[in-house]
Amino acid sequence: MPPLALPELSVVVPLYNEEESVGPLVDAVREALAGQPAWELVLVDDGSRDSTAQVAGALAAADPRVVLLQLARNYGQTQAMQAGFDRANGRIVVSMDGDLQNDPRDIPLVVAKLEEGFDLVAGYRMRRQDKIVTRKIPSWVANRMIIWLTGVRIRDNGCSLKAYRRDLLDQLHLYSDMHRFLPALAAATANARIAEVPVRHHARRFGVSKYGLTRVAKLLADLLTIKMIASFRESPLAMFGLGALLSGLIATGFLSAWLWSFVDRGASADPSPMNAYVFPGSALLCIALAVFLTMLGLIAEEALQKVRAEEQLERFGAREVHA
Amino acid sequence: MTEIAAREHASTRLSRGGVHAEVTVIVTVVERPEPLDELYREYAAVLESCGRSYEFIFVAHPFFREMLEPLLALARDGAPVRTIESPRSIGETALLRMGLAESRGSIVVTVPAYRQVQPSAIRELLAAVDGGVDLAVARRWPRVDARVNRLQHLALHLTAGRLANGTLHDVACGVRAARRDVLQDIPLYGDFARFLPLLAIYNGYNVVEVASEQHASDLASRVYRPGVYVRRLIDILGLYFLLRFTEKPLRFFGLIGAVLAGVGGVALLVMFVQRLLGQPLGDRPLLLLAVLLATLGVQAIALGLVGEMIVHFNASRRRSYRLREPRTPGSESARSS
Repeated sequence: MPPLALPELSVVVPLYNEEESVGPLVDAVREALAGQPAWELVLVDDGSRDSTAQVAGALAAADPRVVLLQLARNYGQTQAMQAGFDRANGRIVVSMDGDLQNDPRDIPLVVAKLEEGFDLVAGYRMRRQDKIVTRKIPSWVANRMIIWLTGVRIRDNGCSLKAYRRDLLDQLHLYSDMHRFLPALAAATANARIAEVPVRHHARRFGVSKYGLTRVAKLLADLLTIKMIASFRESPLAMFGLGALLSGLIATGFLSAWLWSFVDRGASADPSPMNAYVFPGSALLCIALAVFLTMLGLIAEEALQKVRAEEQLERFGAREVHA
Repeated sequence: MTEIAAREHASTRLSRGGVHAEVTVIVTVVERPEPLDELYREYAAVLESCGRSYEFIFVAHPFFREMLEPLLALARDGAPVRTIESPRSIGETALLRMGLAESRGSIVVTVPAYRQVQPSAIRELLAAVDGGVDLAVARRWPRVDARVNRLQHLALHLTAGRLANGTLHDVACGVRAARRDVLQDIPLYGDFARFLPLLAIYNGYNVVEVASEQHASDLASRVYRPGVYVRRLIDILGLYFLLRFTEKPLRFFGLIGAVLAGVGGVALLVMFVQRLLGQPLGDRPLLLLAVLLATLGVQAIALGLVGEMIVHFNASRRRSYRLREPRTPGSESARSS
């Protein structure tokens, strides 16, 4: 039981070079949460190069409900969010963008949905106000791929306005750029119950957008990672075993083609001497790959044995307390 | 673990002088040392003129055991000098950490056992640290040494220096000053001590270069054995991976793998289509190359996935960010007393 002085609701906002937005943002949050019980606003300055930290610092000094965390350098949105989550005291935590594209008036909406019995509520942007080619289309493709790969039906993974239960956040540890896949990660690793609500979306008022088309390659790598975590986190060896099996099948295919060439040769006028090594060589390469993947799977099991055992113990313990 | 054991075996000699030192100077004696007592006198004179209380810790590789003899004599005469001799053959990083564990000053100055800059440089370094900089590093500027050295310097700058996004210009200069808690916070292992400023930036610390006059004994041209260059290259590769891809190994291995598997895959596809059009596949050596590329690519991606798996499961125990703490001038001195 948390002491009564702690806020019910924590709003976490990562900020990077948002000196113009932060003032209106804090005002808007204050206005939107006027009717709510105890709340706190955790601003996380992600090593901004402008005066975001000073502006936010002044706001935090003026209102005890506003807290400013400063990261030592520019780490990225994921790390800023994790820092905010680590600091947030509320039983419910809401995250949102610092660029005023999310509307703080939607916070009560997502919180109300969460209270219906979900662990995570994700907003999806209605009538999204962004550039079509560089933002909307890549985002649509990414969301489709995330749904297809992970089976977690979230329409808009890129929308930062989300609400979480504290218990869920305690089980998640964000790194790299994983905040974008938070719902998928939560479903895969913590069996979270997830819901969606439509939220408002405004065009950018200040500053410039911090994304670009160059993200696609990174996104693909991250998607592959998410897929692996979603499907094989309990059994890394199974994943590599499957790969090895596939590779072995291809090797068998090459060997069959090789054997077939003996049968076929009767018809062919001039049998090429290369037939003697191209197919067997390809088959051997695939067999080598199968062996490599199997060994890699074993090494992965070995390397992860201890942490996975500890993690399972932690989870088991947590569930017991819960019951 | 081994380091603690090493420290216990190390011959540590305490002197009365350095108990209340503000500044600890750690000298790692691991390559081309110059007479250490002279080094001590030069630096001590500068610290004396700054009006600082100080102590010196010389941490020596066992190969240079004899070099410590004159220092023992100095310590017997009451100079604030301690010597630590590593029992095993260990690298500069481990020596530095042994020295750090013994240090008592709230500011630590690291100096190599050879002269790179004029000793007076540490006056400006200390002033920078006093002014709120987390780590101040000397930069030999202007460079007046042999052309061979400058060429090597350029090579290092274009590789390792790049990782600092243009903020560092002399990564190889070992004369540095920092708050002790900063140095203790930066995870140091392997051969990364020489890239300390880069690791400091990576951990969100404020690093500043101070242009310092190059010392006369640093001017002669130096050419190392080929093995040294190979080791350095491996170090830089490791550093590059550490600073850029620790949390996202698949982006590194995945890119390599995607290129390899992509080329192989396209070749396979083309040959497959040609096979359908009637050209036999069995007598085309290109098939071997394509399969080789594809398997190599899959291997690289698989390695990246193992890396991601390890990162994922260790995420809870890794610090992925560091908060900037408001500096409280009183706290550090309270801790060190």
